[in-house]
Amino acid sequence: MSPKAIQFRLGLGACCVALLLALVGIPGWVSSPSNVSNIVLSPTFWPYTLALMTGFVGIGLLLASRHESPDPDPTHIEGTDPKAWLRLAALAVIMMLTMFALPRLGMVWTAMIVFAVTAFLFRTRHPITALVCAVLVPLALYAFFAHVAGVAIPQGNFVRLP
Amino acid sequence: MSLADSLMAGLSVVASFEAFFALFAGICIGVVGGAIPGLSATMAVALTLPFTFTLQPITGILLLLGVYKGGIFGGSIPAILIKTPGTPASSATILDGHPMAEKGEAGRALGMALWASCTADVVSNLALILFAGWLASFALSFGPPEFFALILFSLTIIAGVSGESLLRGALSAILGLLLATIGLDLVYGTNRFTFGDPNMMGGLNFIAVLIGLFAIPEIIAMAWNPTAHLGKARSLGHTKVSFADYRRSFRSIIRGSLIGVFLGSIPGIGAAPSAFLSYSEARRKSPNRENFGKGEIEGVAASEAGNNGVAGATLIPLLALGVPGDVITAIIIGAFMIHGLQPGPMMFILNVDIIYGLFIGLIVSSVFLFIVGSVAIKGFRFVSDVPKRILMPAVLVLCIYGVFAVNNNIFDVGVMFAMGWVGYLMMRMHIPAAPFLIAFILGPLLEDNFRQSMLMSGSDPSILLRGPITWFFWAVTIITIVAIARNIRKIPRA
Repeated sequence: MSPKAIQFRLGLGACCVALLLALVGIPGWVSSPSNVSNIVLSPTFWPYTLALMTGFVGIGLLLASRHESPDPDPTHIEGTDPKAWLRLAALAVIMMLTMFALPRLGMVWTAMIVFAVTAFLFRTRHPITALVCAVLVPLALYAFFAHVAGVAIPQGNFVRLP
Repeated sequence: MSLADSLMAGLSVVASFEAFFALFAGICIGVVGGAIPGLSATMAVALTLPFTFTLQPITGILLLLGVYKGGIFGGSIPAILIKTPGTPASSATILDGHPMAEKGEAGRALGMALWASCTADVVSNLALILFAGWLASFALSFGPPEFFALILFSLTIIAGVSGESLLRGALSAILGLLLATIGLDLVYGTNRFTFGDPNMMGGLNFIAVLIGLFAIPEIIAMAWNPTAHLGKARSLGHTKVSFADYRRSFRSIIRGSLIGVFLGSIPGIGAAPSAFLSYSEARRKSPNRENFGKGEIEGVAASEAGNNGVAGATLIPLLALGVPGDVITAIIIGAFMIHGLQPGPMMFILNVDIIYGLFIGLIVSSVFLFIVGSVAIKGFRFVSDVPKRILMPAVLVLCIYGVFAVNNNIFDVGVMFAMGWVGYLMMRMHIPAAPFLIAFILGPLLEDNFRQSMLMSGSDPSILLRGPITWFFWAVTIITIVAIARNIRKIPRA
């Protein structure tokens, strides 16, 4: 992708975000009491100011894109490898499953699985080391955080650690 | 009591094996605690606090001060080696420290971080001893309008860390400011972007956002291309920091130390903004400004000097006025109280031996920090030698534990993951992450002080220009903006 295209997309995106905030986000998700004495003290004043600034920066980016180079940027990461997209999707799924598993399996067992799965997702050349580390690192961290730092690490519903 | 008498009184309480051992142990604990991402110097100090209950007051307080100072330096180790700041104060160190590590100069970057930290530590301690009363009384005259003007000036730092495009830096900063609006409104207590979730009412956890923005995108990038790092030098390298490096960066170190001293003496600012301001000033003044962000050793020196300059100075309002300068000194004030000591002006009269004992201990702490830091750099060498495809899953697991441990809240882990994807998207679109983080830190302070000023004045904006302090900060803000505008106009012509 060329710097011109990146700048243009960013500008367009910023303008859309500004409009969405001003028309949907702030009216819908920012509560303001009806008896606010002055507009500058309203809880909506700061978000509206920021939405306006986002719009201005978006317009600035659109205008600046005209002066950017249309030649592709050699340092930019191109999305041509379908396996790369699959790995990204897999990592997103791992993260979502982590959130689901943390309160159920407990942090230690979840962390062990996350370690092993991500190491294999990254195509590690040291699978045995990865598996050993996947067991030892979460256990060592558990020992430190639970027994030294006194943090209540989630234990889950199945196997509980001392 | 003369200065000599006070010093002798201080020496009488501090000149014991226990006191110096506690200081040394504190620095060791702090360096290790700071070097573990998510644990942070704050948490290390908080965890050490219960161990001081049974110690002598001076021994216990020196232990905590050692943890504090060690923690601030320790944070730079993972920031340089694995692009994950161990403490928020080390965020600016990433900007040049990690690129140096990528070039195989991690040892040189860590060495400079240590030298700059120790120098700034000495400057900060001397400032504490010489200017405690004067600087504290100056800081006491800051009200919301003065803070607003100061923070507005601090936001001009963004220009210095925006990289190739100021507009993208500005976009990043506005997104950070927007994210900082999440939570309950300070004045009316109404919901802002909380979506009815009680976890969002206190705002997003800073550590979760910080780690999400800086550490997780590296892990996602590894999923995108697991072999991208092959062939790149990532080891500690054989290069060490030289005296020539130190001499070349000396001005930036002293400037950063003084920035740290000044900002540290003002309660509530903290080490992270100081590090970024120091970095920005170094970049602005350096003849090598083009190399900043690409692995410039002066950038590492400036960042570390900025955050370590704060360490001694935050004790100025603590000792002279009993006002904690940041979260860590708020924990340390608890240690004073547990031992029946009340920091403030009266302590300089009633407990002068403790005050001067602390001063002596702090001076010695800079030497201890140098020794412990030198060993720690060698000890953490193995982190560079770990295969990256084993290291990254370990970092992911460490981030999960670390972020959870801050508030014992799984929701924060989700925030970290979400911010990780935001950070990755920003990385791919060439949007710098540093302005986002600075704005996220300063945003709530800016808004709160603005609204407090308006409440004080009945919405009269002239309060924002009410005295010499505000005039000074408005003037330097305008000068900085004019300088930035002139630079932008010069670039297209060049």
